[in-house]
Amino acid sequence: MSIRVDPSLSGELIAGINTNQQEVNTDLQQLSTGKSVNSLGDNPAAAAALVGNDAETAQVDQFQSNISSVQGLLQVGDSTMSSVVNLMTQAISLGIEGSNGTLSQSDRQSVASQMTGILQQMVGLANTTYQGNYIFAGTDTQTEPFTVDASAPDGVAYNGNTEVNSVQLSDGQSLPINVPGSQLFQNSSGDIFGALNQMITALQSNTGFDAANTALENAFNAINGQRVFYGNGGAELNTVTSFLSQEKIELSTQQTTLVGADMGEVTSNYSQAEVQQQALLAASGKILAEPTLFDYLPT
Amino acid sequence: MGTLDSALSIIVGSLDADQGALSVTTNNLANANTPGYDRQIVEFSESDPIQQGNLSFGSGVTLEQAQTVRSNVLQLQLNQETQTSGQLDSFVSGMTQVESLFNETSGTGLQTPLSAFFSSLQQLSTNPSDSSLRVGVISAAQNLATAFNQSSSALTTQQSDLNQSVEQSVSQVNTLTSQVAQLDNQISGITQSGEDPSALIEQRDVALQNLSNTIGINVIAGENNNITVTTGNGSPLIVGDQSFALQTQTNTTTGMQDVYSQGQDITTQISSGQLGGQIQVRDQQIPSILNQLDTLASSIENSVNTQSEAGYDVNGNPGTALFTPPPAGVTGAAASMAVAISDPSLVAASSDGTSGSNGNANALAALANQNIVDGQTPSNYYSGTVFQIGNAVSNATAEQTAAQQVTQQIQNQIGALSGVSLDEEAANLTQYQQAYDASARVVTIISELMNEAINLGQD
Repeated sequence: MSIRVDPSLSGELIAGINTNQQEVNTDLQQLSTGKSVNSLGDNPAAAAALVGNDAETAQVDQFQSNISSVQGLLQVGDSTMSSVVNLMTQAISLGIEGSNGTLSQSDRQSVASQMTGILQQMVGLANTTYQGNYIFAGTDTQTEPFTVDASAPDGVAYNGNTEVNSVQLSDGQSLPINVPGSQLFQNSSGDIFGALNQMITALQSNTGFDAANTALENAFNAINGQRVFYGNGGAELNTVTSFLSQEKIELSTQQTTLVGADMGEVTSNYSQAEVQQQALLAASGKILAEPTLFDYLPT
Repeated sequence: MGTLDSALSIIVGSLDADQGALSVTTNNLANANTPGYDRQIVEFSESDPIQQGNLSFGSGVTLEQAQTVRSNVLQLQLNQETQTSGQLDSFVSGMTQVESLFNETSGTGLQTPLSAFFSSLQQLSTNPSDSSLRVGVISAAQNLATAFNQSSSALTTQQSDLNQSVEQSVSQVNTLTSQVAQLDNQISGITQSGEDPSALIEQRDVALQNLSNTIGINVIAGENNNITVTTGNGSPLIVGDQSFALQTQTNTTTGMQDVYSQGQDITTQISSGQLGGQIQVRDQQIPSILNQLDTLASSIENSVNTQSEAGYDVNGNPGTALFTPPPAGVTGAAASMAVAISDPSLVAASSDGTSGSNGNANALAALANQNIVDGQTPSNYYSGTVFQIGNAVSNATAEQTAAQQVTQQIQNQIGALSGVSLDEEAANLTQYQQAYDASARVVTIISELMNEAINLGQD
């Protein structure tokens, strides 16, 4: 005796069609989103890793944005330092010219007033602002850091502080973005304002030229030593920028690995499921219309 | 004694039997598509022979009974599998809604506003006295708070929707159990009177399957085709002819409806059927996720507030809390998360009291990578929640697919045993029709013989 089979095929056919339809829908969704993971349940581990990936990507984006914000500040600092160095060069040649014993009183007076002009320009440079902030004021960026003040030892008072701001550039790496103005312009190994004032006094009194020249030299050397901060900072930004671009590529590759759909595979799955769906429907139509023994009974 | 009369009575009996068989076949055909119908087969038996001396004369055929072809074991298996499917269906449907709230694969979830908040602090560090960047921090903090508020309230709404579903399921259980008890009563009456209760048993099977889909049950067969039905944990639903209704009662702590049987709280013991799935999502999954959101929200609020208070605002005043302090017991932190300040100058970016200092902005931004939530960074903690939700859906979906396949298999087996085959019935129909034709023909022949016997000796 043969094994009796379930005479009703419709249940199984419908289940088969539904299963296949689900495959078609899944493939279509993957094709339209380009992702193999479209809900947390599709791949919980990948979805959880994606959260970490998103967090890191957002941070890298923000680091890149930090860099572009800081870049402007460092560039203004660097070009201001160039102007300061140029002015110092001028001051040194003027000082040598003024200390030449052959000059008349009125010539020395004129050199002294040129030197005063340089001092004023220097104070102006020391009060440079970027986006409304004094860049040589330490962290006290809303207060004008340098004011001419006869009672100050070098003739210019410093109203800023000696604090330094740092900005984070990447995970665990931050860059100081300012040098306090007192360290630049009133450095203990060479005070710019002091040296300029000393030379002005020497020109006016026609004594002490050697000391004044030496003071200018020292101030020049000091500022040259300090200005590299801005150049180095800019260079570091460039290095970090390319590092971050690399990291961004890695994160995006990781994201594709986690949730990206293999489009070739999905396309082929989709056409396979489509063909299968057609075949199932054709077969179902045929099976359900299949005659029974009744069709062959004599009437 | 082999007389014409006895031959006639044999053939009349045969005509009766064939008619009965034809009517069974017709009934099978009529019910070919009736859910739960089990085919019947005809059992003929030979009538007791009449002994005369050494001779034994057959006395024809009897239609013994129309035997219903069914397997109680398969029905029980189907009930079991239906309970599993019911539980998984309602669990997956509930969790899919939860899942969609945190769908990080499409960027809807908490990670985006969380990252944006910490990024706004980083951005502030590049120019701490800039008031537009300060406004940016406050609005990012507000977005983060709103995201927590919305997620939390969406979860609470889903929880109360499920609470309604639980009530509906309980009332469905009660309707079905009273229906089954009524059928049970009729079945035992019919059985005791010696009639065939198959049709009612089939109706009861359908009702039991619906009941299984709603709640996990045990079915114990008793006398007279009676059954006793209990919940999976043994609380009575139907005993004898009586059904015992389940009740719901508001839990004063959770505000949710607990399920009671005979005055006993059985909520936590209902693990299968739709009711089981609904209770699991309502009482376990959603509360656990809400608790994680609360932990995340309150940890962020507390850490950010503490760090803010360690710094200075743009005017050099000591920093104040950025967020309103979360509730002490954590519970409700996500729902009540809010930004405490609206004046951008109050954002505590400075670490030394000057407006240009960014030290505290850096320290606030650095919280993103510190283990401030249960020993993990905010993102890591949140990704754990995402994994938990995804895993619950993924496991249940896999089990659901398996359960569907098993159910289909059992249904195939039931169909193979009890389903009506049109071919089979057509063959039977032809067979009984031919037998009937032949018997009718015999009646004609006997009638002719009778005539001959009556007219015997006449001219």
